[in-house]
Amino acid sequence: MTLAALPVIWLTQDFAQLLMMGICIVPDLFLLSVLFMALAPGASRDRQTKLVWAAFLGGLIWDLRWTNLPGLSAAVGGGVIGLACFIWYKTPPQGRGTAVFTAIAAICELLYAGIHFFFWTIPSQTAIRQLMVQQLIAVPVIIFFSWLFWKVSPDNG
Amino acid sequence: MPFLGKEQRPWLGGAISVLAGTGILFFMIYMPAARHFAVESVNAVLSYPEKPALYVRNLVQLSGNWVLERASLNERVEQLELRSQSLAEALQRAGVREPAQRESYVRAVVTLRYPQDWWQEFRIDKGSRDGVAENAAVTSEGYLVGRVARVGESYAWVELITSSSFLLAVAVDQTRDLGVVNGDDFGHLKLLYIPEERGLKRGMTISTSLMSDMIPPGLPIGTIIDIDENREGYREMRLSAGAHLTQLYNVEVFTGKGRTK
Repeated sequence: MTLAALPVIWLTQDFAQLLMMGICIVPDLFLLSVLFMALAPGASRDRQTKLVWAAFLGGLIWDLRWTNLPGLSAAVGGGVIGLACFIWYKTPPQGRGTAVFTAIAAICELLYAGIHFFFWTIPSQTAIRQLMVQQLIAVPVIIFFSWLFWKVSPDNG
Repeated sequence: MPFLGKEQRPWLGGAISVLAGTGILFFMIYMPAARHFAVESVNAVLSYPEKPALYVRNLVQLSGNWVLERASLNERVEQLELRSQSLAEALQRAGVREPAQRESYVRAVVTLRYPQDWWQEFRIDKGSRDGVAENAAVTSEGYLVGRVARVGESYAWVELITSSSFLLAVAVDQTRDLGVVNGDDFGHLKLLYIPEERGLKRGMTISTSLMSDMIPPGLPIGTIIDIDENREGYREMRLSAGAHLTQLYNVEVFTGKGRTK
């Protein structure tokens, strides 16, 4: 997957949010795509650094479109990808498999959504329900990216 | 990508991006004009690719709500017809000539509602080009939901009645007592400044009083659902909004012109 695909993925998430506005908050498809690209086998540090800034830029535009806190998603997105890369390098090479990728993806999604949750002004019960729905929808997305990771990883054949 | 002769590390990029994002966040919080400019620029650019998605969303919602909305609107039309008839009769008895109809509304689609400001404001797709002006009343299903706070050429921001900065003079329909409606940023509505000796009861309805050219009198707002303790000679009352404030997809903006667009 090339970096040129990221604007299309961002727009896909934007359209999905537009369609679901007032119903639920869509999972962070863009962030999970960037994470997959950053941790996919063969991703160089140079590419990972570019992806950190891609997450930053995507988060900033998302903030300007959807959150009214410009800089929050940018900071969290860039930070989360940087942190994921750091954990990835600290993991022994033989342990960098699909299970670790899935765990990192789930933590990133939870962290990213959780930080936004603290800035909502809607009553806590409604906010928790929204967060839960978002995280439940994120499960199949994380499974999809884990499957994609398994497909491209050397363990698979 | 070498930087100062060294290969960049992604975690370092992550740390710098956290600092940069935090810096932007603080800058935007303390410079609301810059934030509004940036938000409107991004929204203006994205409005073109988003058009088909917005169209699909409205089509699905309108067709989905059609049956329910039709039943509720029919009931409302019936009530309004009865009310109009009794008012016409009263005017006739008093010998007052019925004034000509002049108010009009423009229909708008809600294009943005921030989760952080859920009970404070939302954005609509109509602006000064369509006759929308600042402070104009915004209604949904015939009930007041807010007023226009900021207007651009092709968009406007609406301050919701549940915003804590929203204060509006209102009247109790059954007793003609005057009070002020105020929100709390958490989806609740209060009716303030009603003297304790007034015998207001649960179930009484509230509507706008004559206040400005942009908010016509008599627009229904909601119903009294609870009467709180007496505070310094005044009673505070909790209101239930008539409109479904959690499901605002289409609204009407009062333009005060001669015909409906």
